[in-house]
Amino acid sequence: MNAALGLANSAADACADSWVRALRLQPSHAVIVALTVVIALIGATASENFATLHNLANIQAQMVALGILALAQTVVILSGNIDLSFAGALGVLSVLFAALAGDTGLSLTVAVAVTLITGALIGALNGYVTAVWKVHSLIVTLGVSTMCAGAALLVTKTPAGAVPLFFEDLAYYRIGFVPLGMVLAAGLYAAVGGMLWRTRFGLRVYALGDDARAAAISGVNTRTTEVQVFALSGVLCAVAAIYITARFGIGDPRAGVGYDLRSITPVIVGGTLLAGGYGGVLGTALAVGLLATLASMLNFISVSSFYQWIVEGVIILAAVIVFARRGRV
Amino acid sequence: MRAGLFTAPTVSAAQRREQVTLLVFLIVVWGATAALSPRFLSVSNLRDILIQAAPLGFVALGQMLVIIARGLDLSVASMMATVAVLTLGLADNAQMIIVIGLSAGLAFGAVNGYLVAYRHVTPFLATLASMIVLQGIRFAYTKGAPSGSLPEALRHLATGSIGGVPVAIIVLLAVAAAAHYLLEHSRFGMQLKLFGDNPRAAHRCGYHNRRLLLAVYCLSGLLAALGGLTLVGYVGIVDNWTGRGYELDSIAAAVIGGAALSGGKGTVVGVLLATLLLISLFNMVVIIGLAIEFQLVIKGLLIVLAAAVYRRHLR
Repeated sequence: MNAALGLANSAADACADSWVRALRLQPSHAVIVALTVVIALIGATASENFATLHNLANIQAQMVALGILALAQTVVILSGNIDLSFAGALGVLSVLFAALAGDTGLSLTVAVAVTLITGALIGALNGYVTAVWKVHSLIVTLGVSTMCAGAALLVTKTPAGAVPLFFEDLAYYRIGFVPLGMVLAAGLYAAVGGMLWRTRFGLRVYALGDDARAAAISGVNTRTTEVQVFALSGVLCAVAAIYITARFGIGDPRAGVGYDLRSITPVIVGGTLLAGGYGGVLGTALAVGLLATLASMLNFISVSSFYQWIVEGVIILAAVIVFARRGRV
Repeated sequence: MRAGLFTAPTVSAAQRREQVTLLVFLIVVWGATAALSPRFLSVSNLRDILIQAAPLGFVALGQMLVIIARGLDLSVASMMATVAVLTLGLADNAQMIIVIGLSAGLAFGAVNGYLVAYRHVTPFLATLASMIVLQGIRFAYTKGAPSGSLPEALRHLATGSIGGVPVAIIVLLAVAAAAHYLLEHSRFGMQLKLFGDNPRAAHRCGYHNRRLLLAVYCLSGLLAALGGLTLVGYVGIVDNWTGRGYELDSIAAAVIGGAALSGGKGTVVGVLLATLLLISLFNMVVIIGLAIEFQLVIKGLLIVLAAAVYRRHLR
């Protein structure tokens, strides 16, 4: 009887455990959700316009671009690398997309496809140099970012090109209070989360980030994995570039400025280890939500963006110090 | 025979070769530019290159020390601007400015060092956070736009000269000589390199790694402050974004100069040569009339290639 009960219990445990594992749940995620709720409550008491569907839609719209880039960064960080190429790559991809979608007469599908492929190539270049030349990914992506920024500014110093009007409308389209961009970002999170959870690629990413040498000895092709990880990051960067370009209605060579470092914050706050191998996309998604809610709340109580920077820095430190105390950073 | 100040027995043969390669590369760049434009070798242009190299040189030396200690200091540019803004508001004579500025840099560096050494925060994240916090403090302090004028003495530090040699370069060489001594001839340097190579071994040897890290980040803050003061002195205007991009440029200079992000490697001579090379290349782009954006392309290419070449050396 007891044995049967124990078996049933462990089966239930295993079932619950598989959910926890699939979502990569961490205790800190509860803290993030709780903080988000508290911040939203403060916002709601401070202003009657905070807790409205309109503002909810605004907060979501703020989350999309950063969310997609943070998703890319999460995968790269999980593999034990870092991608600082968004600053330049986003600019070059934005200019490219606006140039193709503008008045070249190409169909929009071609423009999107070419932008995505270029993004993948930039990412693959990062991955190739990191994996084959054995240069630290921070240096590689920094160099590639600088080159991309130079290339984008060589093409145009001011925003240029155009996006078809209906595409711009699409970027602002809302289904009820959910912006279309949010649906896109959620879909990408689900897809990448699923890849990390269910595919061999996901397993290889975690193995590589946990211990590159052990992964190599166990037969993981670390070179291929790194190239794939960075190519995925490049594709996601291209998606973000297309979204941002569609929102602006024009290609901006400086569209990516600041996104390289900003994309790291949600990953770290979401509980992913900078050293790699531990964490997941759910934490990043929750952290993006927390940061966007916080920014909106601070705007509603008219705290200038100067203080918002201080808050952001303190959040990073708080997260990192809490994780470090548990010996995880 | 006693080793002189500038003969460094602790610099390996491979590092010597790297330095010679950098020097050859520098001479090639200079020769090519001089051939393309006679203006390059004019006294005023060479002076400009040296003066522009000074602020980056200070910051890159600090960055190199941090990189030797397996770290990274992303907050240098933010420290430069914050120091510049603070000193502008708080002091009007040069001595005060330098004292306040350097102590502020030291204090900011100490915060980084405390976080890394005593709170076990990854250097990347600790300095990223302090970069963002300092940015907020700076903008809140200046309410968006700094006001005030630079005292003449600060201008003199950056643009004046003694006997034809720019003051900034004299200071840079003095600081570099001190850094060289510290790194190659002192117990601190030995401990630092040992830590960079193998922190656990350094711990087993009975060294105080925490104090070492604290000191390294303090030095980086101090040098960033010096770089910031020199830069505003040269530019003549204080801005909330003074030094923007120096975090990446200083990492570039350190890496091109032979420092490895895995720690334990880096020489003062290499970093100075790399700084001069970067600034000369930027100058070349301008002087032969290329679009200024080529500076970015060249810089990016150089960072990746240099790092790749040094990796080959190791294998």
